[in-house]
Amino acid sequence: MQAKTEVFSKLLREIEMEIGSRDLADLVFKSLITAVNSLDVKDVDFFNGEFSKLVKLVSQTEPRYGILNYYFAKLSKFTEQTICPDGKCRVKWKNMFVSEVKTILGHGDKQRLEILKNSEKIDLEGKTILIHDHSHTVQDVLVHNKNMGKHFRVIIAEQNLEKTHDNIERMYGAEIPFQVVPAYMLSHLHDEIDMVFFGAVTMKSTIDFVMAPGDHGIISEFHVVGVPLYMFIDTSKFSLWKSEKKVEVFMHKHERKHCSKPITYERIKYSHDRVPAKLFTQIVTNQGIFDPAGIKKLFLEKMEKYQIEI
Amino acid sequence: MLTYITLGIFLVALGLIVFEVFDKSLVALGGAILMVVIGILTPEEAIESIEFETILLLLAMMLLVNIASKSGIFSWLNVKIASFTKGNPLIIFLLFSLITAVFSAFLDNVTTVILIVPLTIELVKGMGRDPKPYVFAEIIFSNVGGALTLIGDPPNIMIGGATGLNFLQFVQNLWIPISLVIIFTMIVFILVSWKSLKPIADDLIELTIANITIRKIQYEFLKVVLHKDFVIKVITILVLTLMGFLFQSQIGLPTYVIAFGAAIVLALMCEKKIDIHDAFRSIEWPTLLFFSGLFVMVGGLESTGLLENLSHMLVNSTSSLLFLALIILWASGLISMILDNIPFVAVMIPVIMGMQSQLTGDASILWWALSLGACLGGNGTLIGASANVVSADIANKRGVRITFLDFMKFSLPITLGMLVVCSLYLTVKIIYF
Repeated sequence: MQAKTEVFSKLLREIEMEIGSRDLADLVFKSLITAVNSLDVKDVDFFNGEFSKLVKLVSQTEPRYGILNYYFAKLSKFTEQTICPDGKCRVKWKNMFVSEVKTILGHGDKQRLEILKNSEKIDLEGKTILIHDHSHTVQDVLVHNKNMGKHFRVIIAEQNLEKTHDNIERMYGAEIPFQVVPAYMLSHLHDEIDMVFFGAVTMKSTIDFVMAPGDHGIISEFHVVGVPLYMFIDTSKFSLWKSEKKVEVFMHKHERKHCSKPITYERIKYSHDRVPAKLFTQIVTNQGIFDPAGIKKLFLEKMEKYQIEI
Repeated sequence: MLTYITLGIFLVALGLIVFEVFDKSLVALGGAILMVVIGILTPEEAIESIEFETILLLLAMMLLVNIASKSGIFSWLNVKIASFTKGNPLIIFLLFSLITAVFSAFLDNVTTVILIVPLTIELVKGMGRDPKPYVFAEIIFSNVGGALTLIGDPPNIMIGGATGLNFLQFVQNLWIPISLVIIFTMIVFILVSWKSLKPIADDLIELTIANITIRKIQYEFLKVVLHKDFVIKVITILVLTLMGFLFQSQIGLPTYVIAFGAAIVLALMCEKKIDIHDAFRSIEWPTLLFFSGLFVMVGGLESTGLLENLSHMLVNSTSSLLFLALIILWASGLISMILDNIPFVAVMIPVIMGMQSQLTGDASILWWALSLGACLGGNGTLIGASANVVSADIANKRGVRITFLDFMKFSLPITLGMLVVCSLYLTVKIIYF
């Protein structure tokens, strides 16, 4: 199981880094449908056993994904309460399960639309917006508002080359005027930037957002100069379990050529930044727009209702 | 004296090529120039010894394949096949091995492994399995598939260029032994690697991981947006080229003209979608120069009468066509395991031509023995064929270390088995047909 957990964690982390956690969840649930349809099922008890093992695996990945754990917990409840109520399982249980996964996929689309709708309430007309991470939610918000006829321009702060290119391609494709700037030169643009948009992988019980590396620095910088900071997040991404403050660190042995001999040293690389919610001006979700105190309240309510056993 | 000098130049050049002291194209061109400077060949004779039909066919196919691959159609096809497997390891193995054989029958083997091996490694590694058996199979099937057609592998292009045997004759004469070899290899691989290949249909975790990996490679390998018109043009031209090869004798045009025509028409049709200078740059000019130099050196050897004597000696040593065919098959197979098969085939072409002129009746089976031995023998070791070396490099870059011994443990027994299968085929064909 340990080996499988490592393989699964690595796989999810690679995908999340490329396409973000919302699309990762869609990809996992679409794959789950194909897997269930291909599964050589002996009986419903066998399926329940296999599904429990999968739920456990999802809960053990490093890092843990709030959105996956939330929906897998919902699926577990669905299996217990709807497919096999009182220990008696329905005949068409497989179809019911697949249909429930499809409903979850549909939820994702619905929640995305709700975030877009809520984003319309922000006044973007004539504004200059800074983005840094390659959050698909933020990209969708910008494209949606552009399609609504709003006029604004975007400044893309550079980070990982591929992710910056992804932002550039999306802005170019949507014909949104944009400029690109190295992330360490933003201090020269404080007066030009009217607002800063971010997305997050999850929100933890410590009321921190888990975000792309480098985000914390930019958020702190603009918090100090008083530029409004907006977070766009789907509430199903919340990590509804008690978490501890920790960061995932990757240590790499690096070697650089020197004129006489190679220099070997440890290079510290962090997978994500943890950013306190209190640094944001507004948090735009599928359930509405909140200030930091409001999002904390919402998180604690959801945690009480859906707390996931890890 | 001149004979010994010629033989000396050829053997030294061969040694330098085998031990990779210098780039092989440089060695072949150097040997060719030396033969002209010493006076073994006149400049005119040197030019005449170059098989331009072979060089032009190679050039045209490189251009055609490069332009076609820019459309993204091959990657798209691979990803679709990956999706079709639904993560079943045995089906992944069977389909990817077969698609490798089919691709390499029409594309060059190196292009085939460049298209298929990275995707397989990502898929199988992502599923938490060992990709080595899959990569080994793809290496072997790239060489096996290449042996089927006139354009699949350089030895066949050389044989076709020298003898005038056409595309259809290659397929007609080689499909049975190649099919037998494919079946034999599949069975051996499945038996030996059953632990890695057995189905996972009763394991939801494995199935889910496999399907997540398939979706991951879908976005990783399909980043290039497919343009419908580009893809349609590529498919149309590739199908027409294949038809042209199949009906070559009716059309009355040499293979290289058909391939060149196809490459130029495709380039003109897709001019806006490709950078033609980039396509021209992608032609492996060193390979073409290597072939040219080699043809001149073999021309020098031929002019001394050495190769004619060798063919006389072989024919006089036995009156049995079967024995000759088996000698050619095993000699070319064993030599190709370690040495570059191209110089060997270049030397053997005039030798077999000499044998044919001395033997009564149809001795064309000797060409098929040479083709099977040279193409399949390349599977014996990691350095036996270019596709093997390139695949090992790709695997190493993706964190899968393939050593010489790792590969040989699989490949040597399988290659010897393939040569036994081909020997049986040649025996039955010569005795009963």
